[in-house]
Amino acid sequence: MSLRIGVVGAGGFGRAIALASARHGHDVVVWSRKDRELPDSIRMSTDIGTVGDCELIFVAVPARHAVSTAEQLGEVVDGRHLIIHVSRGLIGAELKTVTQVIRDKTVCRRIGALAGPLAADALAEGRPSGAILGTGFPELTEMARDALGGGELRIYDTSDVVGVELASATVGFLMVVLAYAQEIGAEPSTLAVLATRGMVEVSRVGQTLGAKETTFMGLAGLGDLIAAVAGDQRPEFQLGRALAQGAKLSNARGKVGAYVEGIDVARHMMEHARRLGLDTPISSTFVALSEGRINPDDAIQALMERHVGKE
Amino acid sequence: MLKRFLSERPLRLPHFKPYVPRPSDPSIFWFNSERDDIVSEVVKRICAAHESDRARLEMALNDAAFHEIRRLEKQRDQEARDRLGYWRSMIRRIGKMDDTEQRRVLHTIVTNMTRDVAGNFDPRVYRFARRAVPRMVGGIMEPRRLMAPAPEALGRVLKVQGDLEHLRYLQNEGSLVFVPTHSSNLDSIVLSQALEISGLPPTVYGAGKNLFTNPIISFFMHNLGAYRVDRRIRVSLYKDILKLYSQVMIERGYHSLFFPGGTRSRSGMIERRLKLGLLGSGVEAFSTNRVRRVDRPVWFVPTTINYALVLEAETLIKDWLMDEGEARYIIEDDEFSQIDRWFAFFRKIVGMRGACIIRFGEPIDPFGNRVGDRGQSLTPSGREIDAGGYVERRGKPVLDPARDGAYTRELGEVLAKRYERETVLMSTQVVAHVLFRDLVQSTPGMDLFARQRLRGEIGLDCETLCQELGEARDRLRELEDQGRVRTSDVIKGDTPRELLERALSIWNGYHNSTAARLEGDRIVIGDPSLLLYYQNRLVPFAEAIASPDQLQAACEIENLGVHR
Repeated sequence: MSLRIGVVGAGGFGRAIALASARHGHDVVVWSRKDRELPDSIRMSTDIGTVGDCELIFVAVPARHAVSTAEQLGEVVDGRHLIIHVSRGLIGAELKTVTQVIRDKTVCRRIGALAGPLAADALAEGRPSGAILGTGFPELTEMARDALGGGELRIYDTSDVVGVELASATVGFLMVVLAYAQEIGAEPSTLAVLATRGMVEVSRVGQTLGAKETTFMGLAGLGDLIAAVAGDQRPEFQLGRALAQGAKLSNARGKVGAYVEGIDVARHMMEHARRLGLDTPISSTFVALSEGRINPDDAIQALMERHVGKE
Repeated sequence: MLKRFLSERPLRLPHFKPYVPRPSDPSIFWFNSERDDIVSEVVKRICAAHESDRARLEMALNDAAFHEIRRLEKQRDQEARDRLGYWRSMIRRIGKMDDTEQRRVLHTIVTNMTRDVAGNFDPRVYRFARRAVPRMVGGIMEPRRLMAPAPEALGRVLKVQGDLEHLRYLQNEGSLVFVPTHSSNLDSIVLSQALEISGLPPTVYGAGKNLFTNPIISFFMHNLGAYRVDRRIRVSLYKDILKLYSQVMIERGYHSLFFPGGTRSRSGMIERRLKLGLLGSGVEAFSTNRVRRVDRPVWFVPTTINYALVLEAETLIKDWLMDEGEARYIIEDDEFSQIDRWFAFFRKIVGMRGACIIRFGEPIDPFGNRVGDRGQSLTPSGREIDAGGYVERRGKPVLDPARDGAYTRELGEVLAKRYERETVLMSTQVVAHVLFRDLVQSTPGMDLFARQRLRGEIGLDCETLCQELGEARDRLRELEDQGRVRTSDVIKGDTPRELLERALSIWNGYHNSTAARLEGDRIVIGDPSLLLYYQNRLVPFAEAIASPDQLQAACEIENLGVHR
């Protein structure tokens, strides 16, 4: 049965979702502030009200625009709507997730977060891939599979929504760390230690915010990280390399051409961990490194000299 | 023997002439005429849910027999002697029974359990209780005024806050579900009194079976619409029955009350983790009505019950510190069961204006939305929406227990936040917080349990303490202006010194141990666990009201709420 699907945001991911949904025979409308060119099978609108006519809405905007987008959506949606967002970021020092923002700014309750090693071009072109949907509403998973799944995309689900969003955001930071380490010539074993211990560190913090450890070890966390290391051209990797080549953080961000939130997430995560008395050695060291407070040799030494215990 | 008989089968007054409710009577006055129908409805739905699937039916029977045998073997009382044989014989026969026999046994078990749960409502008992309870409590407070026409003492002590006019309007338009915080066994009594003096309707509520062990209390509970909840029964059918009973009552427009915290807050903290079972009954009642095209809204009223002095504080905090809070649902030897403690408690609070503040918060719909003047659900910007949309799929209302379960979890989170906003902080809680924060600050690195042993060892300069108290109060005022919490009039009106002396005088003389005492110009901490109990109400605000040099201690206090 054909669904009426709205896509908020016409960036890479928004377009990919629209293309995949249209390919599966759904009636798709994309909302964007500016008019964009899209295939004939997809309607384009600059009026947010058109999204209000859809039952399922995908929100595909960067996390830093989540608040303003949710406020606009809040004027047109109600309890009938189901929303799935694909943002990989957290908002502000309280590490608020995009789901929480949508929850606060709209009256929608059936909300989910789609994450994992899903790449926009694979989704747009219908190449085999997989993703994870964090939602408490099983009907949302069914609808997401109807909209995007088909034979090309395996959408797993979990009720650990906050886990999916935290894993997705913090893995972005670990990608920057790994790219940096790779660029300065770290051995594969060093990269493996950074990746696994980094994952433990972010999941430890995530658990204090209500996430489950297993979610970090699944598609939203480890799965996404493996995809990035395997050569997925993520902006996080480009940022890590630029920093390793000596660029200042602001310049490195400019060079990448996309706002990578990993470092901000790590900074807020550190602050949160400090208040709870948790240790975050990798995040603290890398944030200091990215801000130019220490050099790479000091960073390696600081990490290597730490007390080593049980895994 | 008689006591057991009365607690098992609470007394009902004979009806010579059936009471015919008037249109102006609250919905609960219709309960007795609908009681059998409600029981049948619950039995029918529970049986229907199990009968279509033999494996599920057999599982339910096995589960019931297994848990009941286990419970009764532990109880070793008259009930065990009466019932153990039945369950033992049944568990042996389940596998050999045919479908018809299994269904018959299920029907019998469910009918018996539902009848045991269902309450009664007698308008005569209600009218008597309306007059007698305030007078009785007032009499305990001021024996000389026992015969006075108006229980003035109770009026002074109990204050009610909230938009009562709005709630009075909504009571005629749909089902109200009052969901209060839970600190004391007195809560049901003071809350029913608060509903009464506010012109709000009497409600249906679940009461622990332990409250039915006293024949007098049992008589009142049973005849005032309370349904019995036996927490010792672990049978999953029983839990389904309780939830469905509550759901059917809400579906039919009976105003309800339950404590989502499940049990009294052992720590004194504002509840954060709520039990979702009964909460879910409100959500499912709404969706079931919508699917049946019945437009009867359900609204939840987050309510906080705030005491300056808690009857059972010492037992509760001891229980929490022993980490038995989860397991020990029924405490039979606490202050609530000691009549001399009741007298001591009421005599203590008689002179305290606003010793108990009940605050009815803004009502919300089952999906956590604000509710407008006419009962309409509103968006954060004030746009009117149809709450029925939440249970629709492709334009049609449908039943979906998984979806309603998710809504219930969300509702639980909304309620936990509302509790913080609607909590009215009392003088004893703020004074305890400042004292406890100083204790934490002066014992860095010490754990919570080691601090409990510091009785009479920590002394604080009184003047410094008053200054800190003044600063904490100023910050609480700021939080109050932001709508994050509320403070009592006493906190607003008293000087820090008066606040301190007031708190000391409230604690000392009622509690067996001395929370803190004045020694010259110093305050000596007597019982850190009592301070912990009262200060725990401020856990969510500790960081926000601390100065930079108190931040470390405040963080440690806030973490109490994260880890426990």
